[in-house]
Amino acid sequence: MGIEFGLEDLAKYPFMKEAGDYVKKLSLRVEDLGQEDYRPAVERAKQRVMEAIQKNYISIEISEPIVELLSFPLALMLVKAMNVEYIIHRYSLAEAIRAESLLKEEKKSIISYIFKSTFNLEPISVKHELFDLKIKLIEYLKRATHFHEPEWKLINRVVDNGFVYLKTHELVRLIREEIRRTIYDRMKGVSLPSMPKNLKEAVHEISRVLPPRSDKFQRVTPDKFPPCIIYTLDLIKKGQNLSHYGRFLLTTYLLSIGKSVDDIIDIYPRSPDFNERMTRYQVEHIAGMRGGRRRYKVPSCRTLATHGLCFKDKILCAKIRSPFQFGKKPLFKKKSTGQIRE
Amino acid sequence: MNEKTVAVLKQAFKEFYFKNAEKIITPIRMKEREFGYMSFDKVMVRHLSFQTEGDLRAFLIKEMPHSVYYSCAYYYEPTFAMDEKGWKGADLIFDIDADDIPTRCKEEHDHWICKDCNFMDKGKRPDKCPKCEGMRIDEKNWVCPLCLKATKDEAIKLMDFLLKDFGITKENIEVYFSGGRGYHVTVERSALEELDQLARSEISDYVSGIGLNLESLGISKRASYEKMQRMLPLANDSGWRGRIAKFFSEMEFECYNSNDVKDKMIYIYRKMKHKNFENFVGEVIGKLSTKIDAMVTTDIHRIFRLPNTLHGSTGMLKRRCDDLLSFDPFIDAVALGEEPMQIFVDHSPKFTLMGKIFGPYKSERVKLPLMAAVYLIGKGLAEVD
Repeated sequence: MGIEFGLEDLAKYPFMKEAGDYVKKLSLRVEDLGQEDYRPAVERAKQRVMEAIQKNYISIEISEPIVELLSFPLALMLVKAMNVEYIIHRYSLAEAIRAESLLKEEKKSIISYIFKSTFNLEPISVKHELFDLKIKLIEYLKRATHFHEPEWKLINRVVDNGFVYLKTHELVRLIREEIRRTIYDRMKGVSLPSMPKNLKEAVHEISRVLPPRSDKFQRVTPDKFPPCIIYTLDLIKKGQNLSHYGRFLLTTYLLSIGKSVDDIIDIYPRSPDFNERMTRYQVEHIAGMRGGRRRYKVPSCRTLATHGLCFKDKILCAKIRSPFQFGKKPLFKKKSTGQIRE
Repeated sequence: MNEKTVAVLKQAFKEFYFKNAEKIITPIRMKEREFGYMSFDKVMVRHLSFQTEGDLRAFLIKEMPHSVYYSCAYYYEPTFAMDEKGWKGADLIFDIDADDIPTRCKEEHDHWICKDCNFMDKGKRPDKCPKCEGMRIDEKNWVCPLCLKATKDEAIKLMDFLLKDFGITKENIEVYFSGGRGYHVTVERSALEELDQLARSEISDYVSGIGLNLESLGISKRASYEKMQRMLPLANDSGWRGRIAKFFSEMEFECYNSNDVKDKMIYIYRKMKHKNFENFVGEVIGKLSTKIDAMVTTDIHRIFRLPNTLHGSTGMLKRRCDDLLSFDPFIDAVALGEEPMQIFVDHSPKFTLMGKIFGPYKSERVKLPLMAAVYLIGKGLAEVD
């Protein structure tokens, strides 16, 4: 392909295999990282994670390529050391967004090289008034079904002779999810050595800025969940399998108290048969974002009893008909009209 | 169906498979597929596997099944329970069924009977009987040359999507008459076999014209004339954009007479206003899309009738159409012979097999060639008494 990838490029895209190889060649030892020489890289790593947590974004400015490049694996270590699932998610996404903003400005040849080398995807440049590149139909479909906006539906794309036509920024957006997953998987695979003091301090410092998870979710805190929901969450925490109807109950309930689809998906990863794509599809379906566009209600206590999911609290559940009403004041009282209805 | 009728059908099927065993086409990668069959007692058996052509042929002669099926999917272990089979991939299959295509002839030849009060009427089955309000309604759907012509037209439209848009080569597409009410279009040996259910639903929506928005054509409320001129498609463009532009270029609208299709679309858009234009494009899409059964295309575990086997409800063959345009199901898919057979026909519209006209019949005992007798028996309209 004849493309020279310099240190600066690797610093921009540190998730690439080539970047990893470059760092490996330096033969760094963890204990070295405590030295003053590495302070800028540790600082930048800390900044990466802090930015990801606080702003959901990682700055794209590069002061010194080698510092930038080294800071990436260091940041992975810091996040891994924190061991909080949603921070891992958040950090991977922020890194992917950073890569996306850099890629959007790249030459087509660089983009093609990165996608080929890292994601085995071969975009072909096209001379077209409205589009820059085309990719194979199958490559498009594998990725685009993650998106839900109408413009990603196949029918709204130009499809010709087995290829889908895209603008550069669209292709980059399409790949962002894959970059996120690559970083997420990398992080899961990081083995954590015993860290020098300065890194431990960095972890500690980051932990202090952790924001509360989600304001809407806070309003109904887990201690105010009805017993049936506590039961389903318990099963998930223990890594046990929750029945299909149990998942339906949990999802409808969490949606009803204002949790987002992403937050709900985050709850599921500990299940033994977790499949993020399918889970997302199902949660979105229940939320009314898919299929028949019908938003499903929380099942009634009676239905839950039928499915063996009602663990009625004699006092707290006495006056409710749906888990959604648990812990809330009744909106209205039924008036007795004295009529007899048959 | 009485015992005598079942016995006669079984014998007819057995003889057919015995005489035509060598014509049974085994699907590619047979060992990786699941097979299943339905007996004349309507018992369904699944999770079978055949290692050789000979095994499959011997099985057909021995079992005389009402219907034989094979999976579109390829598995590591086809005989294991569904969750344990290990899915490797699946052919991309489209089912075009006369039931899904509204044709006028249905009003004439379809009818229904209330199982509670025996009230009978023509046309589509109502939700409940207008006479006794009973819900147990038996549908008697007939299929005539017009219905099958409509399904063939849909298959022809589908081929255009597969060849031009999806770039699938002709050699990898097989079109079959299903033996019953329509066509199966099968894509084999293609990279698309690894697509999951979600991706297949995108394919299905694409050919069915579901979800197209005007923005993808280059039309939006706020766009200027110049912007729309730049974004709108030309009639020879590819994909849906080109299809719709071609329709507009060929349609007549008031006294508009320029050849500039983009200008014409903008003119019509502005005359109709957004909402009406959107509805109109919806109608255009309805005409240009194919009416497939989406459930079939998105099901990656489904089993399909095996080519060159008999359809238990017609006695006709599921048959590959080498030339779809000239294919005539009522000639090319007729499999059984002309040996005379006496049956009692409850009722039957007029129909044609191998160029011979039969019926109409009403509560009468008739002597018919085997192909016609089995056709009526299979449809539940006649019995051997």
